[in-house]
Amino acid sequence: MNNTSTVIKVLKRIKHYLPVLVISLVLALISVALTLLLPIIIGDAIDLITSPGNVDTEAMLPLLYNAAVVIAFTAIAQWIMNYCNNKIAYNVVKDLRAQAFEKLQKLPFSYLDTHSSGDVVSRIISDADQFAEGLLLGFTQFFTGIMTIIGTIVFMLSINVKITLVVVLITPLSLFVAKFIASKTYAMFKAQSSVRGEQTAFIDEMINHQKIVQAFNHTDESMERFDEINDRLAKCSLRAVFFSSTTNPSTRFINNLVYAAVALTGALSALAGGGLTIGNLSALLSYANQYTKPFNEISGVITELQNSIACAARLFELIEAEPEPSDKGFDTLEDVSGEVGVKNVSFSYVPDKKLIEDLSVDVKPGQRVAIVGPTGCGKTTLINLLMRFYDVNSGTITVDNKDISKVTRHSLRASYGMVLQDTWLRAGTIRDNITLGKENITDAEVIAAAKAAHSHSFIKRLPNGYDTVIGEDGGGLSQGQKQLLCITRIMLSPPPMLILDEATSSIDTRTEIRIQKAFAKLMQGRTSFIVAHRLSTIKEADVILVMKDGNVIEKGSHTELLAAGGFYKTLYNSQFAG
Amino acid sequence: MRKILKFLNGYIKEIIAAPLFKLIEAAFDLTVPLVIAAIINNGIKTGDKIYIYKMCAVLVLLAFLGLAFSITAQFFSAKAAVGVSSKLRRAVFEKIQDLSFSELDTVGTSTLITRITSDINQIQNGLNLTLRLLLRSPFIVFGAMIMAFTIDVQGALVFAVAIPILLIAVFAIMLKTMPLFKKVQAGLDRVTGITRENLTGVRVIRAFCLEKSESDKFKESNDLQNSIQQFAGKISALLNPVTYIIINVAVIVLVYTGALRVNLGELEQGDVVALYNYMAQILVELIKLASLIISITKAIACAGRVEAVLDLESSLEHTDDTSISSSKAKVEFENVSLRYKGAGADSLENISFKAMPGETIGIIGGTGSGKSSLVNLIPHFYDAAAGRVLVDGKDVKSIDPVLLRDKIGIVPQKAVLFKGTIRENMLWGNPDATDADIYKALEAAQAKDVVDSKDGGLDAEVEQHGRNFSGGQRQRLTIARALTKKPEILILDDSSSALDYATDAKLRSAVKSLPYHPTLFIVSQRTSSIMSADRIIVLDDGELCGIGTHEELLADCEVYREIHESQFGKEGENA
Repeated sequence: MNNTSTVIKVLKRIKHYLPVLVISLVLALISVALTLLLPIIIGDAIDLITSPGNVDTEAMLPLLYNAAVVIAFTAIAQWIMNYCNNKIAYNVVKDLRAQAFEKLQKLPFSYLDTHSSGDVVSRIISDADQFAEGLLLGFTQFFTGIMTIIGTIVFMLSINVKITLVVVLITPLSLFVAKFIASKTYAMFKAQSSVRGEQTAFIDEMINHQKIVQAFNHTDESMERFDEINDRLAKCSLRAVFFSSTTNPSTRFINNLVYAAVALTGALSALAGGGLTIGNLSALLSYANQYTKPFNEISGVITELQNSIACAARLFELIEAEPEPSDKGFDTLEDVSGEVGVKNVSFSYVPDKKLIEDLSVDVKPGQRVAIVGPTGCGKTTLINLLMRFYDVNSGTITVDNKDISKVTRHSLRASYGMVLQDTWLRAGTIRDNITLGKENITDAEVIAAAKAAHSHSFIKRLPNGYDTVIGEDGGGLSQGQKQLLCITRIMLSPPPMLILDEATSSIDTRTEIRIQKAFAKLMQGRTSFIVAHRLSTIKEADVILVMKDGNVIEKGSHTELLAAGGFYKTLYNSQFAG
Repeated sequence: MRKILKFLNGYIKEIIAAPLFKLIEAAFDLTVPLVIAAIINNGIKTGDKIYIYKMCAVLVLLAFLGLAFSITAQFFSAKAAVGVSSKLRRAVFEKIQDLSFSELDTVGTSTLITRITSDINQIQNGLNLTLRLLLRSPFIVFGAMIMAFTIDVQGALVFAVAIPILLIAVFAIMLKTMPLFKKVQAGLDRVTGITRENLTGVRVIRAFCLEKSESDKFKESNDLQNSIQQFAGKISALLNPVTYIIINVAVIVLVYTGALRVNLGELEQGDVVALYNYMAQILVELIKLASLIISITKAIACAGRVEAVLDLESSLEHTDDTSISSSKAKVEFENVSLRYKGAGADSLENISFKAMPGETIGIIGGTGSGKSSLVNLIPHFYDAAAGRVLVDGKDVKSIDPVLLRDKIGIVPQKAVLFKGTIRENMLWGNPDATDADIYKALEAAQAKDVVDSKDGGLDAEVEQHGRNFSGGQRQRLTIARALTKKPEILILDDSSSALDYATDAKLRSAVKSLPYHPTLFIVSQRTSSIMSADRIIVLDDGELCGIGTHEELLADCEVYREIHESQFGKEGENA
């Protein structure tokens, strides 16, 4: 079973906390034993209370003193045990989370691009949380529960065998009843969650597009649909909630029967003079209560544990994913001049779907290269390869005649300044988003960069200027403003080479022209790769690479390519002729 | 809280019955130790077998009665909890239907969704638990105390001292941990935030070589979260040992004082056992009560969040000024300014223009210049901060929003279709439209081929958000949806950006030749889309910086000329 390997991995993680674990287990044993011992001592004390004038208070005091010691030790053992369990569970999860995040920084893009970010987040956050919860519950309840059951049986046997048998035989009935109800209500819960899912999808759709709903005066219709689903949900919920809530009364009913059975057999054997004292009877009754409790809990804990093992497995899957190959000890790129060579490069994301085939391009230092072509022709893929977000399947890419697969990724990526169509901003101030945590940057430098990127004018109108805090993913900024901020980052400390992938697609054409001027200044002496749809961006390029189906089919300047009358001209006319 | 409590109204019967039945069951539980005491005192001491049988039969009877009463209680409480939450969900959804765009902007959709789903679920659980257990536990605790008094007043005094101490201990620990748990949750939010940010920004992070600093940042939050968690755990771990000590010390005192009193002949042995049993019951109930209180506080927090939504009021203004302007304009702006809620500056300033019936008005301007804001004022989605927006000569604030919006067809920037069939989507425009009407609209919107290309034509399935259609297809279908309405005013808010120039041109001429001649507003970034409009409004940073025809603006509006040249070159080499 796959579960076993996950459990082994979990145990390996716990190993770091072995001393704590041992302490916790020993304390659990002690506290269970002491908890069970207490009713016996109290029972003995009660046995001394016989009839008026015959109570032996002399003999009772040491008993009560012992009881007090037992109580004190139980409480201390419980507290330290809880503390140890918390420590183990929370630290194991903390370690796992840190490890998972560390892994995140090293995972290849082939992993990241094929796994939804929501899925990865839920592994690191909620799966880890559920795992911690399960681990904690496992330690505190499962372990002590089992020990309590075993201990109780032993203690009861020591008092009276017959009554113990009665208890042991009847109690599993409550487990059986609980299981019966759970299996019956399972279908009802499934029905409930399916209707609930339907309702959530409907709510999600309507509220997300509430403005359209109102613009089309569609509120009455959507209210009607909502009511219909809501009524169905209420019906399903009532069934599920009610039938599942009969579990507790039913198991309690069984427990009460056990209690009555103990009282009956106990009282009868006390009468028969079988050596059972009243103190013994009171101890047995108290055990009957304690014995049934862990049974009810354990059935819940087992589901909880299964769930937590499943969660741990998902987390381990992430932690054990294959990382990018290490580049330790590789050369670093320094003082890059900007000569880029692409030689016979082939690449595909999926083995049997060829994308780039035998591509060769030479770019001289300082050249401006525009890449154009229809959607899906491989423009963005080429950029993924230049940045080494993906590795080529065959062929080589060189920078300054060094194979980029033989230099460190950091030094390669630091040589490029990159602005993508998909803007990324983090929750934080505007300034943080521009400097991205780089230190030793003065306000004047930030403002100069913002002016160059034409973002200064909108930033200064924000409530707190450069200190305005923006929410996750840019909060209230428009798409165009977000792009301006991303451009500002590059303007701050421009690296020797630039990659602009549709960097100005959401900026209006007039502002774009101004930014282009700034870019033009920036691009002087810098090799740059530009992916764009707009003519204005492309026309000025030294070389235009026209890509189609993963190949460069035409190459040249704007005027040359127009004159050649090939694919570029068709593309150009379909885009810009009106 | 008062608003939420009102929702309990229809379920008063259940809300009284559920705890009542639960209490009766608890009363049966409380009599069990009395029966045991009777068995010991009367049965075993006197050797009366028949009496023991009888009393054990009473125990079984009590168990059966307890089962019957508690299941009845569960039913009433489930009915009330499910019913109330269903009503609440409906009320929240209905409230959202009434909110104006300003509120929708400020509240945010994702939080509205969690409130109507998971928050209300929490309330349902909380209410269910409250009805079943909140009264039961204190009842058992105090009931046990009262029963103890009936057995022996002096012995019961131990209870009277122990129970308040217990309550103080339990509440002190809970009060201390509650804010800590909130902190734990907030710490988790931060860890989540960093993780999510890293995944969405992985290309930028790697391009800027920020892996190390991101890991450090994560480690810091992760460690902080861990230490708060440990601290909270340390304190909540006290709950069990502390209650254990208090109860069992009380037991020792009980047994000892009991022993002394039995010795004096004031009490019997069975009574001491009964008192001991009551103490044990109290321990069990207190542990239940503690976990119950945690769920209830959660539910109360959720109720607060739901109530916040119910408290929202649409901020749209309404005036009773029904005077009709003398101008014959279909749409007229009189010195209109707009400022969004919480914004530092006006988004539109002092805009005035007239659109006569059947005219085409183009609106152009840079990123964030206020183009969409302007057209959103026509259907009264937002209130003008100053000035008046008139439709058919009447201030939009004086027109019933339903009537106003019936006149207007709007095609938003983001092309959105709803789950269902194409026909269902088209019927949003006009529920009574025939297939012929729909096809006319589709033809004008250049979307007929989209429908024809799908299996099932109008009955073709549309997936959520219309994701089985391309951007251009979605845009044309949303235009068709607006056209099935046969609106008097049609607003295209940058809604042909994904169409190529030729299709865009065909679309415009088809709309122009519609028999009902809508007054047309076209918002666009492309001058080619609005060049042929009767009038073009040029916006720059929320101000109107030019209005006129294409030729007029080329001659005297600097901004317009720059926009045009940026798209077509200085000499219009490709125009």
